Amino acid sequence: MGHGDHKGRPSKKLKSSAKEEYKNAFNEDEDSYFGDEMDDDLREGEGKKRDFSKLELKPDHANRPLWACADGRIFLETFSPLYKQAYDFLIAIAEPVCRPESMHEYNLTPHSLYAAVSVGLETETIINVLNKLSKTKLPKEMIDFIHGSTANYGKVKLVLKKNRILVAMNLQVLKRLLKDEVISRARITSEGLHGNEGFTISKTMGEMGTGPDSLLNEAELAAAAEEKETHSFEVDPSQVENVKQRCLPNALNYPMLEEYDFRNDTVNPDLDMELKPQAQPRPYQEKSLSKMFGNGRARSGIIVLPCGAGKSLVGVSAASRIKKSCLCLATNAVSVDQWAFQFKLWSTIRDDQICRFTSDSKERFRGNAGVVVTTYNMVAFGGKRSEESEKIIEEIRNREWGLLLMDEVHVVPAHMFRKVISLTKSHCKLGLTATLVREDERITDLNFLIGPKLYEANWLDLVKGGFIANVQCAEVWCPMTKEFFAEYLKKENSRKKQALYVMNPNKFRACEFLIRFHEQQRGDKIIVFADNLFALTEYAMKLRKPMIYGATSHVERTKILEAFKTSRDVNTIFLSKVGDNSIDIPEANVIIQISSHAGSRRQEAQRLGRILRAKGKLQDRMAGGKEEYNAFFYSLVSTDTQEMYYSTKRQQFLIDQGYSFKVITSLPPPDTGADLSYHRLEDQLVLLSKVLSAGDDAVGLEQLEEDADDIALHKARRFMGSMSAMSGANGMVYMEYSTGKGKLMGHGMKIKPKDPTKRHHLFKRRYG
Amino acid sequence: MPQVRIIAKNFMDMVASLPAMKLDNLYANAFICEAILRSLPPLAKKYVLQMLCIEGPVSAKSMQEWVLADGASKHKVAVDRLLQLRIFTETVDRKRERSYSLNPVFQKNLQKLLISGEVLPREPMPTGITARLPSLEDLDVFAIEQWECFLLQLINSSPAERPSNISSSTMKVFQRGLLTQRDKEAPRLTESGFQFLLMDTNAQLWYIIRDYISNSEERGMDPADLISFLLELSFHVTGEAYNINSLTEVQRETIKDLADLGLVKLQQGRKESWFIPTKLAANLSLSLTDSSSRKQGFVVLETNFRMYAYSTSKLHCEILRLFSRVEYQLPNLIVAAITKESLYNAFENGITAEQIISFLQQNAHPRVAERIPAVPENVTDQIRLWEADLNRVEMTPAHYYDEFPSREVFEGACDYAREWNGLLWEDSKKMRMVVKAEIHKNMREYLSRSK
Repeated sequence: MGHGDHKGRPSKKLKSSAKEEYKNAFNEDEDSYFGDEMDDDLREGEGKKRDFSKLELKPDHANRPLWACADGRIFLETFSPLYKQAYDFLIAIAEPVCRPESMHEYNLTPHSLYAAVSVGLETETIINVLNKLSKTKLPKEMIDFIHGSTANYGKVKLVLKKNRILVAMNLQVLKRLLKDEVISRARITSEGLHGNEGFTISKTMGEMGTGPDSLLNEAELAAAAEEKETHSFEVDPSQVENVKQRCLPNALNYPMLEEYDFRNDTVNPDLDMELKPQAQPRPYQEKSLSKMFGNGRARSGIIVLPCGAGKSLVGVSAASRIKKSCLCLATNAVSVDQWAFQFKLWSTIRDDQICRFTSDSKERFRGNAGVVVTTYNMVAFGGKRSEESEKIIEEIRNREWGLLLMDEVHVVPAHMFRKVISLTKSHCKLGLTATLVREDERITDLNFLIGPKLYEANWLDLVKGGFIANVQCAEVWCPMTKEFFAEYLKKENSRKKQALYVMNPNKFRACEFLIRFHEQQRGDKIIVFADNLFALTEYAMKLRKPMIYGATSHVERTKILEAFKTSRDVNTIFLSKVGDNSIDIPEANVIIQISSHAGSRRQEAQRLGRILRAKGKLQDRMAGGKEEYNAFFYSLVSTDTQEMYYSTKRQQFLIDQGYSFKVITSLPPPDTGADLSYHRLEDQLVLLSKVLSAGDDAVGLEQLEEDADDIALHKARRFMGSMSAMSGANGMVYMEYSTGKGKLMGHGMKIKPKDPTKRHHLFKRRYG
Repeated sequence: MPQVRIIAKNFMDMVASLPAMKLDNLYANAFICEAILRSLPPLAKKYVLQMLCIEGPVSAKSMQEWVLADGASKHKVAVDRLLQLRIFTETVDRKRERSYSLNPVFQKNLQKLLISGEVLPREPMPTGITARLPSLEDLDVFAIEQWECFLLQLINSSPAERPSNISSSTMKVFQRGLLTQRDKEAPRLTESGFQFLLMDTNAQLWYIIRDYISNSEERGMDPADLISFLLELSFHVTGEAYNINSLTEVQRETIKDLADLGLVKLQQGRKESWFIPTKLAANLSLSLTDSSSRKQGFVVLETNFRMYAYSTSKLHCEILRLFSRVEYQLPNLIVAAITKESLYNAFENGITAEQIISFLQQNAHPRVAERIPAVPENVTDQIRLWEADLNRVEMTPAHYYDEFPSREVFEGACDYAREWNGLLWEDSKKMRMVVKAEIHKNMREYLSRSK
């Protein structure tokens, strides 16, 4: 999906012919206004600038909410009375580029239109409604583009019905498909129950689920009234993958829609689970579910909600609607526990119907249907397993799952998905994520591996609705101290650059200042993130705070998190990037980021997500008519270093969602700070020599296996130093943290065993 | 001409800087007296009216009693202004007591004005002769078009683009200081030219008129006459026709120039020809006061540095291009992005962060104008920070010394430079040093001495 482009540049996925046209048309009247030195920037801009001022304005344009450009870009006024309807419609057909307060931008892309068709919108409906909302006449190019992109989408459906795999389509398409050798071979003709050569003709009401309401009525009724005749034939289950392949855009170009008619599924046993009455899905959760269950069947696809907006409730609701066995995949053991907890919290599922399958707990559910929560790694693991887990995995493989629920789909690399999806048979796949951005191009794979994006919530609207916290984001500029900067600039320290800018004493002091301020003045709960293990340990030791990183055992993690949640004495924890995803820490409301993973927009958003869970009641927060910030996100950057560049890049996603970063240039305030660490030059120099004497490997990044995003990032930034350190764990090996401890050490990560005497006094007891 | 930083409303400063005799002559014209009165700070206005009927001086002491203690600074400003404009004359008596009196000509004229009302030097022409005058709306459109056309010309300096309805000689008159023209090169906007474009219309008008006045002598015109004519013009009724024959030769020339700017519209009947003052002309005296009438804003700036301008005007598009990257042009919307590069471009052209920010604030779309702040804080902060980033390097002219014959000489030289407070850098290992250029001469002498 069109996420490759940031800064709101037009999508590159345009038809190139159309693009050329504009460029030419534009260049003509755009010549030399300025002298020669008005330079590259403008010229570079030239290709991106588009002149559509010739479009004809409708006389009542002021009442209509959007402009549509021939290149697929759409601008939406959020203050229009039709905003809500227009927003619902646009989010269904287009990819949001940025959604700040007053004006949203969207891109029409082939993928977004694919998603539109798959939730039941028809080509003509899309064009009609768009035309109604547009201030200008729709550009012809856009109409053509919509026609071209949607003509074939959704024409072919893959339905698992009564446990037979059926391909459904209209007559014309049927003829075309059957001409294809692969498909005709995969077809099962012998079982033609309804005669008619194995084709089934059925009449279904074209249901529309929830289109943009009032405005669409006309079109909607027309579409709904139209009865559609569908033909279908059965395919050999073993050939499904091949048939799907043939239908992809690069072959026959009839991408298949997968739908699960779970109500008529009599083969798979029902699972007795309902949502508890107190589980009230919020409006946007309802909406996302209605997109999924639009026509009484379950569609496969991805739902995008900000962290803390209640993704798990959506997942549990989906499972309770389908009421079949459900396989739930999470990224790590901690979040497996959390998912199991969520299932029990929101639904009436019995304890013996839900089981966790991790290296630590190998449970099995009783009865013939149930929920299994496990990790991607456990399922995809290729090595030798224990006898017990072999049995469980066998069960998982052989079962027909009603729902495959996949958490944090953005983190898991495509080949992992392929493996998981090929190993498990599921009728319906639901992917959940907060950030559908990656620095590599792998996001688009998700379209075909799982399905189109079904729904994406608007962050700012959720903030306004009080569903997620209102976060004050700040970038704290910490000037490098003279001595550190001198070392930073030296060639021989190229491998230590990161360590130097993270350990910058000014940054440490800013961090300490913020922790003190929030702990003492506001009584907040603080998470400090550091990707750099060396820094993480240094900071945590110096400030005497507990920390969690890759090698921390599951038991210890749980203990620390528990203490953080309940104890009044533990208000700050230090997390390495294991904390980025899916560790649920609802108590935290302040994040301080001291080091981060290059320019990853996703990491930034995920980290922010740790504090998004709404705190307090909306009325309380809006007290006095002025909206109060109730959560704080600080990103500490050392000025004049690489960090500054990364920082801008990282924030792009959040900025596109309407967040703004305030720059703070002097922390601690000039006349204070004598009581903070590293106030004296001697202390700073001691720290410097510590950094310089540490081994190169020790000061590098922590390598976690789950993350293939790294590779793309590192490629992009021409990394000078520790290539060797990185090659050890480039995302091809998957293992669980608890078992991977030993191996991690093998990768050159020198992690000092914790000295019990240095352990925080609160934790001493637990080990005593 | 000297590249002074433009101060927007500086017309009165110019009036004040006229030689005393000319200034006194100006006050012979009742309209000027009224215009000047309008331009004064509120307190100064009050003083003038208070003293209007007092013959003879008022002592500074008693005046001071008119104000409360916390108004002292305003009092001083008011009095200074009045002195500057020679409306007040100061006298110091033997006891060193200061007292002020009103300029008698000014006083008489204002008194007359109050008693008998204003009388224009010329009457509007009867409608019988001037068939079909343009409506006020048409006149506004004409004025705005003409003004924008003039501004656009400034930006599109390439001759091919030049619309033909402004004579190039007038352009030259008005564009001095805004454009530089080197031989055989396309004229380019100067630093003040760029800054000029970001000012609001009234400020621009005054900038142009100020230049026009200060260059008037070269065109054989007396600046005081010009000022008085311009002020007089501003008292003409907008939309009425006035006979050109009522003007002097010089004034007729002037009116032609002003027509090019859109201050007046010229029309010709069968026998007579006449000029019709537009809104812009009326603004001449209006903008003397600080209450600048705001046009409706059109710019929406988002926290993600994207800018949406509700405008159909090509001029707006060009102005936005000065400091942003225009990405889309739609029939009634311009979409642009403020980027570091686009801002650096603007800074290079001499536009300051403050000017950009105040432009954005002044032109904020009503939809966002009520919001506080109208321009997102993170954007304004960032613009300032980017500007500050450019100013981090300080240049000090310096000289570099190396290859000292011995350590003693090197150290001696270092000490010497330190004594003069001119040592910028030293590397005692390799015996190299850098000293400020201003002590280079002394340094050389010192070194030759120590050889």
